[in-house]
Amino acid sequence: MSETAISVRGLVHTYPSGVTALHGVDLDVGPGERLAIVGQNGAGKTTLVRHLNGMVRPTEGEVRIGDWSTTEKSIAELAHRVGYVFQNPDEQIFARTVATDVGFGPKNLGFDEERARRAVSDALEAVGLAHEADVHPHHLSLSERKRIAIAAVLAMQTPIVVLDEPTTGQDDAGVQLIAGIVDSLIAQGRTVVAITHDMDFCIENFDRVVVMAQGEVRADGPAEEVFADVAALEAAAVEPPQLLRVARALGWSGTPRDARAFVDQLTQQRGSGSSA
Amino acid sequence: MTEHDRETERGGESEGDRESERESVTERESVKEATMANANANAPMIELSGVGFAYEDAERFTLANLDLRIDAGTVTGIVGASGAGKTTLAKTIAGFIPLNEGGTYRGTASVAGRVLAEGTLSEAAAAVGLVTQNPFNQISGARFTVREELAFGLENRSVPRDEMELRVDEVAARLRLEPLLDRSPYALSGGQMQLVAIASMVIMQPPVLVMDEPTSQLDPAGTRLVYDVLSTLSDGGTTVVIIEHKTELLHEHCDSIAVLAGGLIVQHGTPGAVLADDRLTSWGVGETRVTTAARLARERGLLPVERALPIGVDDAVDAFSAAKGAAS
Amino acid sequence: MTTTTLYLERTSALHRLNPVTKLVALLSIILAVFAVPHWWIPLGIVAVVIVPAAVLGRVGGRLLRLFLILLLPLLVVLFLIQGLFYPDGSTVLWEWGLAQLTTEGLLFALTIGSRLTALVLGSLVFVLTTDPARLMSALTQVGMSPKIAYVISASLQIIPAFQARAQSILLAQQARGLAIVGSPLKRARALLPLLGPLILGMITDVDERSTAMEARAFGATPKPTSLIVVPDPVGERVARWLMFLSAIAVVVLVVVGVIA
Repeated sequence: MSETAISVRGLVHTYPSGVTALHGVDLDVGPGERLAIVGQNGAGKTTLVRHLNGMVRPTEGEVRIGDWSTTEKSIAELAHRVGYVFQNPDEQIFARTVATDVGFGPKNLGFDEERARRAVSDALEAVGLAHEADVHPHHLSLSERKRIAIAAVLAMQTPIVVLDEPTTGQDDAGVQLIAGIVDSLIAQGRTVVAITHDMDFCIENFDRVVVMAQGEVRADGPAEEVFADVAALEAAAVEPPQLLRVARALGWSGTPRDARAFVDQLTQQRGSGSSA
Repeated sequence: MTEHDRETERGGESEGDRESERESVTERESVKEATMANANANAPMIELSGVGFAYEDAERFTLANLDLRIDAGTVTGIVGASGAGKTTLAKTIAGFIPLNEGGTYRGTASVAGRVLAEGTLSEAAAAVGLVTQNPFNQISGARFTVREELAFGLENRSVPRDEMELRVDEVAARLRLEPLLDRSPYALSGGQMQLVAIASMVIMQPPVLVMDEPTSQLDPAGTRLVYDVLSTLSDGGTTVVIIEHKTELLHEHCDSIAVLAGGLIVQHGTPGAVLADDRLTSWGVGETRVTTAARLARERGLLPVERALPIGVDDAVDAFSAAKGAAS
Repeated sequence: MTTTTLYLERTSALHRLNPVTKLVALLSIILAVFAVPHWWIPLGIVAVVIVPAAVLGRVGGRLLRLFLILLLPLLVVLFLIQGLFYPDGSTVLWEWGLAQLTTEGLLFALTIGSRLTALVLGSLVFVLTTDPARLMSALTQVGMSPKIAYVISASLQIIPAFQARAQSILLAQQARGLAIVGSPLKRARALLPLLGPLILGMITDVDERSTAMEARAFGATPKPTSLIVVPDPVGERVARWLMFLSAIAVVVLVVVGVIA
């Protein structure tokens, strides 16, 4: 089994406080897939993805990363296969310069000096912070620190990358940057799993969407299908992306995923002169 | 000047201090009253004139020569690229710049006709409630339950207990915090903490409420809740200023939107005008998806050029239905 | 648990008491116990006042456990050291090399030990039966400055908050491949670079928090109102004065020489 594949079976997780965050989740993610997980706060999304690098252990069930079962490996070992970008960058960043911080992961993973240096510069380039390499992270804004956190994980060059709400607090340019990063990760053959509340970002960048509510998976499939599953969306208190809502209101049957696709469909509709 | 005022307010136990305490409380009440009275007149509630600010040791001015007028009882959204100075602007409207932050300050910022820099930080805080980005730092740390945390600000304003209980219950109901009331404020998730931070300021009923990206950690349901509360507040006369990246949220709830770019307000108008402005992307602000689609449709001749670009789902449906019906 | 207290939530007579009454009782006991030279007085108070109070407050079990874990080892060490190495010992009961078991030593250990026991057990009963929030409210009701209350409350909550943050940071670094294995020294060395930003983070937070507190009018008045009102019956107020005066009386009697 490829080391980039994820397999979750019957996953149940109960926190020490007694709250059961996951009520039996099954999920298979193939190598090179791009998957978005959506749902209300408290639905269990973060609990689920934290199992992927061992930060949370199953109460019941099993999580496998490639041929590894997560219960048999430490978090540091799993970090070789799964890179996790935290929602709050200040929990992750600690070094005195941006470059040192981004280099922390590669160093721990045993990259030799040359490889580490290149990984750091490539990562900083990818997030648009190459010119801030020697700056103290605290001198940068929150959204820039979020990008440092992403760079820090990119530099680790893991086969699987988990992004926990990557676009919150980002301006338009930042969101596009992150979309570009997702694209390039997929182009490199990596698997990307992202939690997001931004449905527009979701439908534009992810082929597969998993909808969660109350610790369970309510829908799992191609974006087009999932966003048509009214029951699942309602259970998860999630609204479909803007353009999809417009298309539905216009009575269209297709699922335009971005502005271009929408206008293409509009052209078609006008050409045919029908509303089908 | 601020230091001096701070000294006089740190009362001891003597007669003189009790007297000044009574004075401070009445002073604050009068600030609030004056602010609300001004709201009924036709002067702008918030007025920034020629405001410039550079942080200490900064190479450039974050705010350049900024003018901004906001009317009472309105909801104004402030958008701009990251680093454009939105947080700085929020702090300036609240008076924390220059009263609490060092740096070079120019121009005047006034709320209800009073120039904030000429008063104390306490007076500014009575007129403008500021909700900052990081909820963790807004939790007082001095209260052991969410219920008490919500009441904290009211206790400091010497609100009678019966009234406090009512206001706590009311705010908790509005922001769906009832199940959390007996929990420790530190035993909350990021989103819950953000709601508590917002509630803690809303409960103080400031005449002006400034919020810096208040929905960053909230899910869509939580976001809708907060915006509903803001609408209710503005209906009740509160002037609301909200800094937000998610432009698609703003068109429904804002009376006007101001764009901050290059240290200046480069555009300030209705959501329909601002969010369809051609220059939006050049200012670093994202258009909503429907606007982008409409713009593209217009380029391809599918939408008439004269028609204003839609900014939200509803007017997009109208616009595109019309397009479909038009003869080719 | 998000505060660093041992408070156990129960319904009991002791829990219902105004926290200030309990505090005054504790301080009176401590004052009396340290003033009086006889070793059997503190132990008497433990037996007659403190243990029954614990039982009344339904915290007896926890008190016993804490005694065994915290106090007993300390007492054993105390007896060993003072019993065997007391410098002014003259009545030797047993010898072994440099160690001399003396009655004076044992007596000294008994005096110190009994006082310590009364102090620790009394404080534990207080902490186990007193909700910190109610304590702060009760203290401000009787006139303590709200700023001091703030400092105490915030200190109680800051440690778990600090711990939680340290835990998150640790988790984040492990997620970046930091291996926390090996000798304690190795582990400490691995964690050291994380300490700086943790503390720095807490300090920068203080600045933001103080701004937020200004925004919520903290310190605007020396006499804020309070959401929580802790009942303070007249009987308890009288009892407090009586306890305080009794403790003073005991001290005076000792100083004057009536109690020796």
